[in-house]
Amino acid sequence: MIAGPLVDATFWVFALGSIVAGYRVFRTDSMVRAAFYLLASFAGVGGIVVLLGAEFLGMVLILMMAGEMLIMAIVMVMFMMNPAGLNPMVMVHQNRRAAVAGIVAFVALAAVGLLGNFPARPVPDPSTATAELGTELLGDSMLVFQSAGVALLSTMIGAVVIAGRKGRFGVAEEDSIEPSLQPDEEPGR
Amino acid sequence: MRPYVGAEVALLATAAALVAGVYLVAVLDRFAAALVAGAVGSWRRLLVVPLAAAAALLVQQRRTTERPDGAGWAVAPALFFGLAAFALALVPLGPDLVIADPSTGFVAFSAAIAFVMIAVFLHGWSPNSPFALHGAYRYGAAALSFQIPFLLAMLATALPAESLSIVDIVRAQEPAWNVLRQPLGLPLYLVVGVGVSFWGPLNLSDASDVAGGTSVEDSGVARLLWTIARSAMLVAVAAMGAAGFLGGWWGPILPGPAWMIAKTGAVLLAILAAGHLLARVRIATFVLVAWAVLIPLALLNVFVSGAILL
Repeated sequence: MIAGPLVDATFWVFALGSIVAGYRVFRTDSMVRAAFYLLASFAGVGGIVVLLGAEFLGMVLILMMAGEMLIMAIVMVMFMMNPAGLNPMVMVHQNRRAAVAGIVAFVALAAVGLLGNFPARPVPDPSTATAELGTELLGDSMLVFQSAGVALLSTMIGAVVIAGRKGRFGVAEEDSIEPSLQPDEEPGR
Repeated sequence: MRPYVGAEVALLATAAALVAGVYLVAVLDRFAAALVAGAVGSWRRLLVVPLAAAAALLVQQRRTTERPDGAGWAVAPALFFGLAAFALALVPLGPDLVIADPSTGFVAFSAAIAFVMIAVFLHGWSPNSPFALHGAYRYGAAALSFQIPFLLAMLATALPAESLSIVDIVRAQEPAWNVLRQPLGLPLYLVVGVGVSFWGPLNLSDASDVAGGTSVEDSGVARLLWTIARSAMLVAVAAMGAAGFLGGWWGPILPGPAWMIAKTGAVLLAILAAGHLLARVRIATFVLVAWAVLIPLALLNVFVSGAILL
């Protein structure tokens, strides 16, 4: 366990930062800003998870969220008529229902956090915690999962290649049409 | 729990390493340019010119754009520099000479590299300027493409160490450096490392063909900060390359830290010289090569390294 006034101060910076950033997600007027506030909120949670001794989980959370939020911001901007997501826009809708749902969720989670009976077993050493987590999650099927991961990755790359501009049937803007499934039919049917 | 140095020592040591590293990048870059041009000139000039350029930027007038995102614009260089400091703090100079050695050092370093995307995108997006945004999109496309080969190339170095800690990864290189055991690793890492700090042939986001890309609207202190942050990240990438693939502190006669500094300098010089020797690649070509060539090569590297260990 790591402890001390500096760790406590770090916890409060992460915790309050996460809450403020999470609040700002709903008060900002731009998609990109909202995505980055959400990222800041998640990064703060990742920092708290690291402080709790789950180094691997916290770091992976931060690692994954960076790429995820960037993709989300770019895709959202692409779908809008707003070139860079810098023009102000209203980011919220169904305010009353959302507020009720948010308060109910917050109260429920806070109740679990305050009233729940959590085991008090501090992690002795984060370096063994990572290995234990791997064994707990995957056990003996590590190789199967890793092979499936590589297979999924190649499938995704293949899908992107086929869907890209130079797809299977020629360059997209040069009138490429897919061939027919029947031998004698016109292409594109 | 692994031992950590005190907060004051950590701050001072990281700051000193960053200042020295950034200055070294500025000098080596000019040295490499002069070497390629064939006339090195006087050393004093080489040492003073970067300082003069920095001083000129300090007094330059600040420009701004119409309706920028001021907070994002200000945060981006600070975030980038902070990530470089975070990454550099994970690199050991010697077996006991490291600022932070978390058991998941490799994951922490990768998280810092992934967050660079956010810093660069924010830097290009916030000025509200077309060329800057173009540069930001370019970095997004390039970074998402080189993240996977980067992770895989680094992951292979963790296999012989059977640990994600950087100190353990270097310690496991006593019999043979990873550059010999995994010959694919260092080239892959260097391609990606140059991409992360967008230098030379992989400078796509701040390139002159988009009028300076994400930093087109920067002026004065902001431009200086961005340049410093980029150089700092380059130092961190070079240091991690030296630790992960070139055996870190291992080496005859000289003490460990001297070897580590020499190897980092050598990697830096190689990267900076490449910037003056190689032409910039096109973004579409790079993305294609990253997905179709670098990822399979990196997977092959992992499989072969794993098979040898079994």
